Amino acid sequence: MTEAAPRADRLQSLLDVSMALATQVDLDSLLQVILDQARSVMEAERSTLYVYDAGQDALLSRVSEGAAQGLVIRVPLGTGIAGHVGATRELVNIPDAYADPRFNPEIDRRGGFRTRSILTAPLLSHHGRLMGVIQLLNKRTGEPFSAEDEVLVRAFASHAGVALERARLVEEALEKQRIEEGLRLAHDIQMGMLPRSFPASPVLEIDAALAPAKTVGGDFYDVLAGTGAHAGRIWFAVGDVSGKGIGAALFMAVTRTMFRAAAGAGAPDPGAVLAQVNDELARDNERAMFVTVFAGLYDPATGVLEYANGGHNPPYVLRASGALETLPNAASPALAVIEGLPFANAEVRLGPGDALFAYTDGVNEAQNPRGELYGTPRLEAWLRAESGRPVPELVKSLIAEIDRFEEGAAPADDITVLAFRRLGGS
Amino acid sequence: MEIREDRREPGLVVAVSGRVDSNSAGELEAALLARAGEPRLVVDLGAVEYVSSAGLRVFLMLAKKCKAGGGKMALCGLAPGVKQVFDLAGFTPLFTVEPDAAAALARLA
Repeated sequence: MTEAAPRADRLQSLLDVSMALATQVDLDSLLQVILDQARSVMEAERSTLYVYDAGQDALLSRVSEGAAQGLVIRVPLGTGIAGHVGATRELVNIPDAYADPRFNPEIDRRGGFRTRSILTAPLLSHHGRLMGVIQLLNKRTGEPFSAEDEVLVRAFASHAGVALERARLVEEALEKQRIEEGLRLAHDIQMGMLPRSFPASPVLEIDAALAPAKTVGGDFYDVLAGTGAHAGRIWFAVGDVSGKGIGAALFMAVTRTMFRAAAGAGAPDPGAVLAQVNDELARDNERAMFVTVFAGLYDPATGVLEYANGGHNPPYVLRASGALETLPNAASPALAVIEGLPFANAEVRLGPGDALFAYTDGVNEAQNPRGELYGTPRLEAWLRAESGRPVPELVKSLIAEIDRFEEGAAPADDITVLAFRRLGGS
Repeated sequence: MEIREDRREPGLVVAVSGRVDSNSAGELEAALLARAGEPRLVVDLGAVEYVSSAGLRVFLMLAKKCKAGGGKMALCGLAPGVKQVFDLAGFTPLFTVEPDAAAALARLA
């Protein structure tokens, strides 16, 4: 039997503990420090730390040593001694465990240990939220835990509770950061898949850009050369998936892949491409996601544009004369909603110097910090004023215009623009 | 965004107000899908100023779920701007749309 350490020594060790706790932010090392220090300051044979899991409304144990080390015990709040302390947030000092009905001797049997006395205290956060419970078994002197031990464990628990809360907050922030980084990475990969060079020719000037939102969105554009019967023509699409987040980003990637497959496999026209993509997307779509797609097949030699529109904002035709026309909407529903739909085709002819301007609603729904929308009237006025610019400049300067309008507010939605102009010809 | 429920025989009227965008769509989805078992459900959008594509998706899900459960649902009170969003996405024909809650209830009765 050892003598109880003098009071001053114990206070000194409490001070050591609070300094040790203050320097630990990693949750696992912190739990270990709390366990070890509690046992040494309180002169206990064993210590168990329970961390409160709000989701399960239960305490999950960390056992310091012995056969039970590493064993996780789950204690629902309100059951057993630790559960009682967690529920009431009050300290419990039991001089003789086997005389107390709340004590469960089963744990002794499993751990090969004989519990005599138990001191159990709640670990509370700065605002009194339950963070965990600390339990000390068998004072090394052989006596029960004293009133002074109670004071000491309270002081210890208040430091440990705050340290635990801080570590939790740090861990949550890191987790959030990891998720955001993962989403950003996924988005970057998808951006990397979008074409950056376009099949320009003496009769075609084409460009596209996508400015990603702060949260991962689901815009896309695509341009690919026609094959077979469509050799010499170009397929293109601009699309916008409903909602945001990783689900929308994946849905976008799938849509684009299907568009490429359908267009590349020699579908007769844009309506047929959309019908095929729609059927595949609609098949197993429990979450009712949908995607608006404007798809076209353009012949740079003749200026003829065949198109189909699945619920997308109708693009504009910027005439060489300066006139601005909205493409007559072929008005089919967005894709992925109903299987087996036909998608109507329509046709427009671009004369020399005419341009097509397609975009997603990230443009007209851009907001400034006062909550004002950029809106269609502003977009149309801008297009009227700027339509004479070369296409790459037009695309770049519209993205800059929206950025200016947002006055530093991070874009809430992806902003996509695709434009091309017919050069020469007649 | 705010959501208010009003039991008006023979159905339930859920009135939504404010903006239905990607920030509020989750809350609306939870509230509306919890009512998808109603035999006659009317969603009153009279006080909704804006619906984004994320909002449209919620109404689509609701329509699917009501249909699957054998219930009937209708939308009412769409402001011109909101109606335009439904039209543009080509979704208007998928819904029963009425000018106001009374007309919608009568239609579902």
